Amino acid sequence: MHRLDPRTKIVLTFVYILSLFIFENPAVYAVAALFLIIEIILSRIPILYMVKGLKPVAFLLAFTVAVNLLFTGGQELFSFWIFTVTIEGIKRSSYLIGRLIFLVLASNLMTLTTAPVSLTNALEYLMRPLKLFKVPVHEVAMMMSIALRFIPILVDEANKIMKAQMARGADFDSGNIIKKTKSFVPIIIPLFVSAFRRANNLAQAMEARCYNGGEGRTRLNPLKYRRGDVVAYVLLVIYAVLIVLMGCFLFKAPPVAL
Amino acid sequence: MPIVDLKNVTFEYIRRDNEGNVDGITTAVDGVSLKVVPGEFIAVLGANGSGKSTLAKHINALLFPTEGAVYVDGMNTADEDKLLEIRSAAGMIFQNPDDQIIGQIVEEDVAFGPENLGVPTEEIRERVSDSLNAVGMSEYGLRSPDRLSGGQKQRVSIASVIAMKPKCIIMDEPTAMIDPEGRREILETAHRLNKEEKITMILITHYMEEVVDADRVFVMDKGKVAMSGTPAEIFSRVSELQELRLTVPQATGLAYKLKMAGVPIRDGILTGDELVNAIMKLWPVAK
Repeated sequence: MHRLDPRTKIVLTFVYILSLFIFENPAVYAVAALFLIIEIILSRIPILYMVKGLKPVAFLLAFTVAVNLLFTGGQELFSFWIFTVTIEGIKRSSYLIGRLIFLVLASNLMTLTTAPVSLTNALEYLMRPLKLFKVPVHEVAMMMSIALRFIPILVDEANKIMKAQMARGADFDSGNIIKKTKSFVPIIIPLFVSAFRRANNLAQAMEARCYNGGEGRTRLNPLKYRRGDVVAYVLLVIYAVLIVLMGCFLFKAPPVAL
Repeated sequence: MPIVDLKNVTFEYIRRDNEGNVDGITTAVDGVSLKVVPGEFIAVLGANGSGKSTLAKHINALLFPTEGAVYVDGMNTADEDKLLEIRSAAGMIFQNPDDQIIGQIVEEDVAFGPENLGVPTEEIRERVSDSLNAVGMSEYGLRSPDRLSGGQKQRVSIASVIAMKPKCIIMDEPTAMIDPEGRREILETAHRLNKEEKITMILITHYMEEVVDADRVFVMDKGKVAMSGTPAEIFSRVSELQELRLTVPQATGLAYKLKMAGVPIRDGILTGDELVNAIMKLWPVAK
């Protein structure tokens, strides 16, 4: 899992997520769940850790479920106050919950097993056809990896500025939301100034090391497909065929767009 | 043939006011000529605003002279076709280690230069491990640069430059933001590379202690070369240095004060050991 080519992982995740959105029928979801469980087991990431990854979306999940459960029209099951719970509502929300959970788990799985550098490299490779439409693919990938590199540095800097302002009596904790937001202005401005200064220095350092765009660059770690990737692609094709067949013929549910 | 040859280099900044009108012209470098022989360890000293950093950026073709010409390994920096060749022949280390590390992993950063030059993958691998070895950072190849100390980061920057196989390295105040321990590491590395790999070093600094071991020293003031010579020659002119707002090494300062007080001590003392020896000579009783 960890050793797969990042391109394989991106394609895998993309097709998987697509499969979740095209069909809405229990058989497809069962296969999708099975596929995901196998992947998680292969990745050797503790299940508990994966489940914890769902926490940030828990609220979103609860909200969508509630809305769908309470406001979907159809055959009435029971009702209270102004709400009516229908069979369709239950169906709908259970699909949604499955879809969202699978989606988050699948993308978490990808980011947990891949270094950010390889992800940007892979994206650059996969988006290469866009160059035909004059999309600056290499530049975008370079920007992404530099952004990733500078996140910890800018976080440090923000902390430093914050402490410097606090030492001079700035107050970030009291007052209402508007006052609090306003008190962050003296942090944001110096942070921007220093970010621009850093950008300037970095550009100079890159130029000094002969950077002149993506043309003619070689790589320390070129992306290489191995046997595992071939296996993964074969499995993916089998999975896709299975899903399409089941989606079209089982339960005779027509493809539903969200 | 000199590796770096500056011919009467002048560089002017045009200052503009808020509306973009020309406000005045600052001459940062003013008619500097100097030659560096391959294998030399050169130090350029100067207080803040003396034009030493501006001069350094000319050698790497980041800035171009308003007047005069800069030749690196026989190539004129004004020749745009030679730009990449010049920049790989004369590598540059900057002051702030955080602003010059591009890779998210040490290895990737060292590989950045050779990648730009289009070096084949296997050779990049080789160059990366050789360069990290040369600066004593081999164990850190797969670390994130954020977890390294300042001195270590700066050594990674040096490795990144060596990986491009430069003939000459320009270091623009590489120790200014580093603690004393890291400062020592960086200087040791620079001297070792100069001796073992025969890489010409040009060290820009305002710390006197760092120039003691250089072959030749240039002192800059207001864009001009104010003094030049061996460290011993330079440091025997203490009063002139003080006029240029530069402080001399402790031992040199003490020797100078003793001399002013009438002790017949020799000029050009750079280190504590030299000072002790000189005093012992004057005072045979102590033996």
